Amino acid sequence: MSESRPPVRILASTAAAKAISAELSRRRFLSFAAAAGATGLLAACSPGGQSSNAPQATGGELENSLSIYTWGDYDAPEVLEAFTAELGPTIQLDSFGSNEELISKLVAAKGTSGYDIVVPTGIFIPQMIENGLLTKLNRDLIPNIEYVDDAYLGRAWDPENEYSICKAWGTTGYVYDKTVITRELATWADFLDAAQNEASGRTSVLDDPGDLTGMYFWANGIDWNTTDEADLAAAEEFIVNTLAPNISAFDSYPGGAAIPQATHALMQAWNGDARIGILESPDPDRWQWVLPGPETEIWMDNWAIAAGAPNPEAAHAFIDYVLTPENSLLELDYIGYHTGGKDIEQAAEDAGIEMLDLVFFSDEQLATMREGEVNEAQQTRVDIWNKAKAAAGA
Amino acid sequence: MRGIRLPRFALALPAWAWLVVFFVAPVAMVVYFSFGYKPGIFGTHATDVLSFDRYGEALSPTFFQTFTNTLWVGLAGTALCLLIGLPAAYWMAVKVPPSRRGLLLALVMVPFWTNFLVRTIGWQVILAPEGWLSSLLQGIGLTDGPLDILYTRTAVLIGVVYNYLPLMILPLFVAFDRVGGPLREASKDLGAGRWRTFTRVTLPLARPGVIAGVLLVFIPLMGDYITATVLGGARGNMVGQLVASQFQTAQNWALGSAMAVMLILVIMATVAVGGLIVWLATMPFRLRNRLVLGDEPASAPAGRSGDDGPAAGGAEPVRTEQGVSA
Amino acid sequence: MKQRSWSDVALNVWGVAVLVFLFLPILVIIVSSFNTGRLLVAWDSFGFDAFGAILTKPAIQDAVMVSIQTGLIAALLATLLGTLAGIAMARHPGRWAFWFIGLLLLVSVTPEIVDAVALLPWLVFLGQDLGIGLFNDGIARLVIGHSLFSVAVVSYIVRARLIGLEGQLEEASADLYARPLTTFRRVTLPLAMPAVLAGFLLSFTLSLDNTVIAAFVQVSGTTPWPVYVLSALRSGLRPEIAAVSTIMLLLTLVALALVAVVLRRAGDSATQIARTMTGN
Repeated sequence: MSESRPPVRILASTAAAKAISAELSRRRFLSFAAAAGATGLLAACSPGGQSSNAPQATGGELENSLSIYTWGDYDAPEVLEAFTAELGPTIQLDSFGSNEELISKLVAAKGTSGYDIVVPTGIFIPQMIENGLLTKLNRDLIPNIEYVDDAYLGRAWDPENEYSICKAWGTTGYVYDKTVITRELATWADFLDAAQNEASGRTSVLDDPGDLTGMYFWANGIDWNTTDEADLAAAEEFIVNTLAPNISAFDSYPGGAAIPQATHALMQAWNGDARIGILESPDPDRWQWVLPGPETEIWMDNWAIAAGAPNPEAAHAFIDYVLTPENSLLELDYIGYHTGGKDIEQAAEDAGIEMLDLVFFSDEQLATMREGEVNEAQQTRVDIWNKAKAAAGA
Repeated sequence: MRGIRLPRFALALPAWAWLVVFFVAPVAMVVYFSFGYKPGIFGTHATDVLSFDRYGEALSPTFFQTFTNTLWVGLAGTALCLLIGLPAAYWMAVKVPPSRRGLLLALVMVPFWTNFLVRTIGWQVILAPEGWLSSLLQGIGLTDGPLDILYTRTAVLIGVVYNYLPLMILPLFVAFDRVGGPLREASKDLGAGRWRTFTRVTLPLARPGVIAGVLLVFIPLMGDYITATVLGGARGNMVGQLVASQFQTAQNWALGSAMAVMLILVIMATVAVGGLIVWLATMPFRLRNRLVLGDEPASAPAGRSGDDGPAAGGAEPVRTEQGVSA
Repeated sequence: MKQRSWSDVALNVWGVAVLVFLFLPILVIIVSSFNTGRLLVAWDSFGFDAFGAILTKPAIQDAVMVSIQTGLIAALLATLLGTLAGIAMARHPGRWAFWFIGLLLLVSVTPEIVDAVALLPWLVFLGQDLGIGLFNDGIARLVIGHSLFSVAVVSYIVRARLIGLEGQLEEASADLYARPLTTFRRVTLPLAMPAVLAGFLLSFTLSLDNTVIAAFVQVSGTTPWPVYVLSALRSGLRPEIAAVSTIMLLLTLVALALVAVVLRRAGDSATQIARTMTGN
C-alpha cells in the first residue's frame, strides 16, 4: 500500500533481527489483503475519494457506455432504453444483493471496479465517503435535482447531497391478516403484542438486525440508533426471550410470496414490498397495512458515482435524465417506491397507479420516520439478531 | 504407468496447484485475519495486534446452540438423502437399460438448472396453506384445514433433501454402476438370494460411492445457511449464518474468520467421530464379508460387463471368479 | 427376460417417484411463466407477456449467458483437474493422498462466504497489483470461484469409482505392451467415464447456482443469473424470471431428446457409444 517504505531500525540480537525482518516482509506481503478493508490504509491511498487519474465530469461529450451497479430489476426498462436512444451511451447493468457486497467490491477494486453509477442505501454512504469509494457529484451537470422534493434531500448521511441523490425511499411497517387478528393494530407495541398472542408462530420479521431491534426501540420511544448499553441489553432481553420464540421466519420480502400465499398472519415489511404483496393477493381485503407509531424507519437508496468511474459524463447525464418528472414517474410505477420527485403524487394519481397510500405519506407521517445509522452498536445489534435466530430456531 | 519416473501424485499436481493458488493462499489470508480485530465502525479487519480474543468471542453459547440445530439438520438431511437416493441410484444403475442411463443421469440434474430461488418459490407455491398440495389434500378429504407445513422442521428437510439429492444420487449411481451384472449373476448362481446379493456383494462394492455421497451431502450442508431457511424459516437456522452475518452485516471480518475456523474444526471433528462410529458399527459386517469375498471388499474387482475393450474383456472372467469364490 | 419380481416393480416406482419429486417445483415454475401478473407467485391470467419482457431486458439475457458460459468452462476445468486427481488418488495412493483428501475436505467444508471474501482481494491483487490481465476478466474470475468446490466433487466421485479396482486392468494392458498413454486412454479413462460424466454434470449445476462467491468476484458486465435473481427480490420477482427457466428447460429437453433420437437411429454402433458413455 505505502509506495515508499521508510527503513525500519530495530535494536535486536542478530538472531532476533533475522526473525523480525522476516516477519516484517511477511507483513508487507500480507498488506495487500489489508487493502480489502482497513480504513486507515485505504484512506491514505485515495484521499477525499478522488482518484487522481480518473476522468472528471466537466460537461464534455458523453462517453459511449455507462455501467450501473444496482439492485436487480430496479429500473424501468423503458427509461433505460430511452436514455440510450436519446443520448447515446449504452447501459451495462450489474446487480448486487447487499450493500456490504457493493462496498467490499469497491474497496477491493481500489477505484478500478469499472462501475460508474452505484446505488447504495443511505446509512452506508458515510462509510463509503470515508473510505473514498464515491466521487463528488458535479451538481452543475445535474440541474434536474430541482425536481426532487426538499424533504428527500439533505438527509443525515449526506447533508449537502455532495455525493448522492435520492433514487427511491421507503419505510418500515407491517401487514396483518384480518381474519386472524380481528382487533385493530396501529403501533409497534401492537405488533409486538399480537406477535405473542394471535399471531404467535405465524409472525415474520425483516431479516435485518436494525429493523429487528428497531421495533423494540420504536415501540418504547428510544432512539433506534442508540449505543446505550442498558437500552441494548433491554432490547436483547425482550427480543431474544420474549419475541423470538413466536417468530417463524426472518423474511425481508414477504410481499414477494408470503402475502399472496397467506403463509403468515403478521409480517414486518417495507412499504413497497407490502404494496405489491397486497395488490397481487387473491384476496386483498384480507390484509391490513399499518404504518406504525410512534416512530419508524425511513431508508433511501441513492444515486451515486463510484470513485474512478470510467464514464463520469455519461453517469451525470443519466442521473440528470432519471430525475425528470416523466422518468421519475415511470420509475415509481415500475418499482413501487417513492422516487422523491416533487409533485409526483398528483402525477401518479393521474396516471391511475393503484394503492398510493403505500407509496406516499403525509408530512405528519414523514415526521415520525427516522434515519438509521451504522454505528458502534452495530456489532451488538448483529449479536442480538443472531441470538434471536437461535432462539426462534430452537 | 511403468517406465515413467513420475512421482505418484503427478496426476494430482494440476488440481493441487489450482487449489493452492486459488483456495489455500487466499483463505489462509482470511484465517490470518482471525487473529486480528475490527478497527472502528468502518473497517472490517486489522492485524497490527494479534491475539486469540476473537476465538473466545466465537465460542459463544449462541454458536453452540446454533450448531446443535445445524447438526440435527445435517444428520437428518444426509440420512434422508441416503434413504431416498440409494434405491433411486440403484434403479438407475442396475434396472434401467444401459442406453438410457446417460439420459437419466441428465434428467436428475435438469431440475437444478432452474435457479435455486426460483425452484424454492416453486416449492412454496406447492406447500403454501392455500397452495396446490393443500387444496389437493383437502379436496380428497385427507386433511380438514389448510396445510401447515411451511416453516416447520418438515419443510426444512424438504428443502434440504430436494436440493442435495443429486449430490447423493450421482456418486451412488457411479458406484453401483461399477458393480456389473456378471458379479451379481455369479452371486445368485452360488445360491445367494436377491437381498443377500445386494447386501453382501453390491453394497460393499459400492461403499466408496456411499462414503463419497454422504460426505458430499453432509459437509457442504453443514456450512450452508440458505437452503434450510428458504422453506423452513426460523427452524432452519444454521451456524453458517453466524459466519456470514459477521462478514456481511457486522462487517467484522476478524470475528467472521475466527468463527469460520471454529466451524471448519467442529465439522471436521464431527465427520471424524461419525466415521469412527460407522467404522466400529460395521466392523462385524465387514469381517463377515471378508470371509465371503476373500480380499477387502473394496479390492474385489469391479464387475465390468466385459464389453469395454479387449484388455478389459480378457481380464474380466478370471477375476470375477476369484472375487466371489475365493 | 425373466419375469419382473415385486422388488423390480418397487424400484421402478421409487425411481420414477424420485424423478417426479425432482420435477415437481419445476412444473409450478413452467406454469408461472405464462402468468401475466406483476408477481411470479401470484397468478393473474394466461399470456406470453413474460417471454416478451425478456426481450426488453438485456440485463436478463446477459446474466443468463454469463452463467451458462461460466458453468461450461468451470465444469470442464473442474472435470479435467478432478478426474486427474481422482485417478491419481485411486491408482497411486500413498501418504500424499491422505493429505490431498484432507485438502479436498477443507475445500468442501469451508463456508462459501469465506471463499468469497478471500478470493475478491486476492484476484484484485493478482490482476491489478501483479498485472496479470486474465484475473481482471469477469468470466475468468467466476470460473475460478466456481471451480473450487467442483474440483473436490469430481475428485471424490472419480476416486470412488476407481478405488479398489487395483489397476489390474491397467497392468494387463501394460502386459499386452500398451504404452502408458494408450492404457490411460483405452482402459483407465473409459473405466472412469461414468464418474467423469457425473462429475461434469454436478460441476455445471453447482456453478449455475453459485450465488455467494459469484456476487463477490463478478466485475462490470458479468453479473451471473443467480446474483441477478437474488438482487431482483428487492422489487419483487416478476414472471419473466420463470420464463427464463422455462426456456432453458425446454432447450435442455430438446437437446436431450435429440441425443436420444440420434442414438436410437444409429442403432448398434450408437448403443456402443451409449455404453461407453455410461461405462457398460
